Amino acid sequence: MSKQLNASILVIIMIGVGLQLTFAKSVILNIIITWIGLGYLIYCRVSFKMLATMLLVAFPLSLGTWWSFVAFGVADVWHNAWIYSTRLYAYLCLGAAVTLTVNVKQLLLSLSQHLHLSATFAYGLLAAFNLSPRVRRQVKTIRYAAQLRGVTYHLWQPQLYFKSVLAALQWSGDLAEAMTSHGFSEGFSRSTTYHDDLPKWQWGLAILCILTFGIVAFIIKPW
Amino acid sequence: MQTVSESKHTWSLRDVIFLAIIAIFFGVIYQLWSFAYYAIAATPLKPYANDLTIGVWLMAGPLAGVLLKRIGATVIAEILAAAVEMMLFSSWGAANLIAGFVQGIGNELGFAMTGYKNWSKLGLLLSSIMATIVTFGWDWFQSGYSAYHFGMIVTLFIIRFISIGFFAGILVYWISQLVAKTNLLKH
Repeated sequence: MSKQLNASILVIIMIGVGLQLTFAKSVILNIIITWIGLGYLIYCRVSFKMLATMLLVAFPLSLGTWWSFVAFGVADVWHNAWIYSTRLYAYLCLGAAVTLTVNVKQLLLSLSQHLHLSATFAYGLLAAFNLSPRVRRQVKTIRYAAQLRGVTYHLWQPQLYFKSVLAALQWSGDLAEAMTSHGFSEGFSRSTTYHDDLPKWQWGLAILCILTFGIVAFIIKPW
Repeated sequence: MQTVSESKHTWSLRDVIFLAIIAIFFGVIYQLWSFAYYAIAATPLKPYANDLTIGVWLMAGPLAGVLLKRIGATVIAEILAAAVEMMLFSSWGAANLIAGFVQGIGNELGFAMTGYKNWSKLGLLLSSIMATIVTFGWDWFQSGYSAYHFGMIVTLFIIRFISIGFFAGILVYWISQLVAKTNLLKH
């Protein structure tokens, strides 16, 4: 899979195009971005089942958006309805082009090597992300433990969040200590044993994508 | 050489991990909320669903702010929570990350207005007000709020302020009070 784009480049394109997308009022551009995103995902061999689920899950939101403009919009109702409902899909595919093609580790290591993310952040975040399954379990445990005592923690009460904070405090202390005792030094340069390839043409591609989008969206202004 | 940073100005490993774990907890809790959101969001009432629940999506930032009492904690926690949510597979995709940044900036501005000195009621009140204004301004463009009629825009703004004020203000204050009682935070 060496022909994939580097994670840092994907993030730059996602943010660069994503920010402009908010101000671009064009249905055609939204559809083009959606198709390019989907095309890239298919190229990276993301399963069709995954893509179909992704598109289906977003459908109610897109429909709700479309409908709300038809129901409550004041001017240019149909155009607005289509702009904002297709924009949702453009954002979805832009995000998926990053989250479904690179994993957290690739992403963080790439950001630290090419975009100066500090080692404390890169490895700290990575360590925390590895706890994700445990976090899920902890949320369940907290709720079940309360239910055993006949108490239900509602999401508008502070208890569930409070107990999560306590777990986070304890785990972060333990994890930081464990990393330090395994030789992680804060604020010092590290020797890197991995190689994250970022050919120059990919930087060019990112700039080209962002500029082209800006010119088309704000000068040509398609429907 | 082994070093553990103790300075208040640089981020220590422990703080980074703490922030990230908080963000992951919120990412998981957001998923519980999203069921309620979905039920209304598939109807024309979607903008109301957005504004009613928006406070929930803003909690991670101010909570991290009042717990760590540090410049930037609010923005970073909010971005991380948004990133986690994006990674856990949400139906907003890239909009998540950008919204997280915008929300974090809104909340952070409130604390900045107190000169980063008040992390209690006043700080949270200002943070809620600024977050309401900034996120509403953002949705003006991103979700096309400018195209709704005037009465609806005013209603949405008020609902949004109540939601942010309760979840990212009052609820965060309650949580921080509970944490303060445990004496586990030595800041």
